[in-house]
Amino acid sequence: MEPERVSRLTTALEATATQQRNSTLLAVKPERIIEACKMVVEDREFYHLTTITAIDEGQVISLFYHFWRGTEFLTVKTAVPKSDPRLQSVTEALPAALFYEAEIADLLGVVFVGSPMTGRKLLLPDNYPTDAPSPLRKESNPAQIRKMMGLD
Amino acid sequence: MTDSPLDPKSEASAGLMQYSPENLVPFGPVHPSLKEPEYFKLYLEGEKIVQVVPRIGYVHRGIERAAQDRTWVQNIYLFERICGICSFAHSMAYTQTAERLTAFEVPRRARYIRLIIAELERIHSHLLWLGLVGYWTGFDTLFMWVWKDREHILDLFETITGNRVHKSFITISGVRNDLPENIIEPLKKEMKYLTGRVDYYSDLVSTEETLVARTRGVGRIDQDVARRLCPVGPLLRCTGIARDIRKEDPYAAYDELVPDVKTSNQGDIASLLLLRLEEIRESCRLVTDAIEKIPAGNVKLAVPRVIPAGDSVGHIEAPRGELFYFVRSAGGMKPERVKIRTCTMANILTATEMLKGHTLADVPVVLTGMDPCFGCMDRIAVVDVAKGKEWSVRGEELRLHGINWYKPGRQT
Repeated sequence: MEPERVSRLTTALEATATQQRNSTLLAVKPERIIEACKMVVEDREFYHLTTITAIDEGQVISLFYHFWRGTEFLTVKTAVPKSDPRLQSVTEALPAALFYEAEIADLLGVVFVGSPMTGRKLLLPDNYPTDAPSPLRKESNPAQIRKMMGLD
Repeated sequence: MTDSPLDPKSEASAGLMQYSPENLVPFGPVHPSLKEPEYFKLYLEGEKIVQVVPRIGYVHRGIERAAQDRTWVQNIYLFERICGICSFAHSMAYTQTAERLTAFEVPRRARYIRLIIAELERIHSHLLWLGLVGYWTGFDTLFMWVWKDREHILDLFETITGNRVHKSFITISGVRNDLPENIIEPLKKEMKYLTGRVDYYSDLVSTEETLVARTRGVGRIDQDVARRLCPVGPLLRCTGIARDIRKEDPYAAYDELVPDVKTSNQGDIASLLLLRLEEIRESCRLVTDAIEKIPAGNVKLAVPRVIPAGDSVGHIEAPRGELFYFVRSAGGMKPERVKIRTCTMANILTATEMLKGHTLADVPVVLTGMDPCFGCMDRIAVVDVAKGKEWSVRGEELRLHGINWYKPGRQT
């Protein structure tokens, strides 16, 4: 990505940027995620949101918002603590994020504040136990969840 | 089924066909337009769909989680089983994303072979789709013809890879086997045959009256919606946006054999039909070019058991559009995390937009139009709000309903 664009984004968002091959990683604070997504799509060049990836890293859950523009990736990274995994939903700025957020809410238990999908399941069965950890979290144990759901 | 709402003579049917103020028609989880489970809540005003709410996950198999317990090589065969149609696309996207973390260069010959298999798979996927559109519009002859032509591709898969569906052909650092001897002439012959068939089908889908009536102006999307909801593949290209990962981010041998990206600006099912046929023609050209220009050499290196630590993002142009993989390695025998974003996951929001304003009879065609693959991503019950009734509809019944709906002389 052009250095001016990178520096403009990092200054405005107090972010750090790293570049690798054809992809740029922009790390932002969780409270600036909506602003970051708005800035990235506002000039219509990075309008294609490829997906959102979430990873359980032990203490925190990292989220990667992957944007694609013709020849390069721009990934906006943020992290929320596992003890209180709440993050503002970006669906207002990016309607395409709706199901990607819902998928993460189901599989990693991140709460997206303001998402129209709040309280609705997308992937998990309706009878998924409320006291079981989300299935893609490190502490989840498939055998135990099967038992809790009465499948074994 | 006796008291079926879609049998015009039944009592329940009378309730559905009357224009009551708001009807919820839960569409699924046994899917009407594919043999895969998926659930759509359709809100109707009379016959017109005003709102669509999808619910996925009925075939969620926890593959991302399962991948964390398997080795790098075992995972190739796991990801292949995400989809029975674009199985090679999944294994290739995963392999390429993992390869980006390593230092080796995949041999040129292997890159060409990957391109050939990927393009054959695109032809087979598009043909399968075209046949299904024929089937759902009541044009079974088209379905039979197209699927017969698709057999030619499956036979080629069998000759080249040994398998018809799950090819198990790609591996980290190349492909498992070289092309069989004497494949050049049969391959070229089949591509020539298929190009001829595409000419015929292109003529047919734009002139055959029933097919035109069922597809033209149906499932319309415009560029603005496409930019907002970020669909991928033919669904994006049919709105006039020329976006193709093969060209934008070349992988395999696409840097040397550049595809011509086809677009259309109509944004309806009729234009999707022609667009996909054009893509088949282009794929035939690419396969023919590749088999003529394929360099000699090795097809693989020593397959590594450990992938160096790091994060990697990769995507390819699968038959249905951009297929995205994120791979994190901790430097061990198994991946730390693999995230998959399939094409249908990206397209489903757009499909719900396409359904709005259409009738229940158009649902199978519009949903088939986006070429859904819910096995990748993840029945029909009908509720009449006014009468407080609930019942189930099988896909076959809905298909017949769609066909009867468009019969000439129908009483409205």
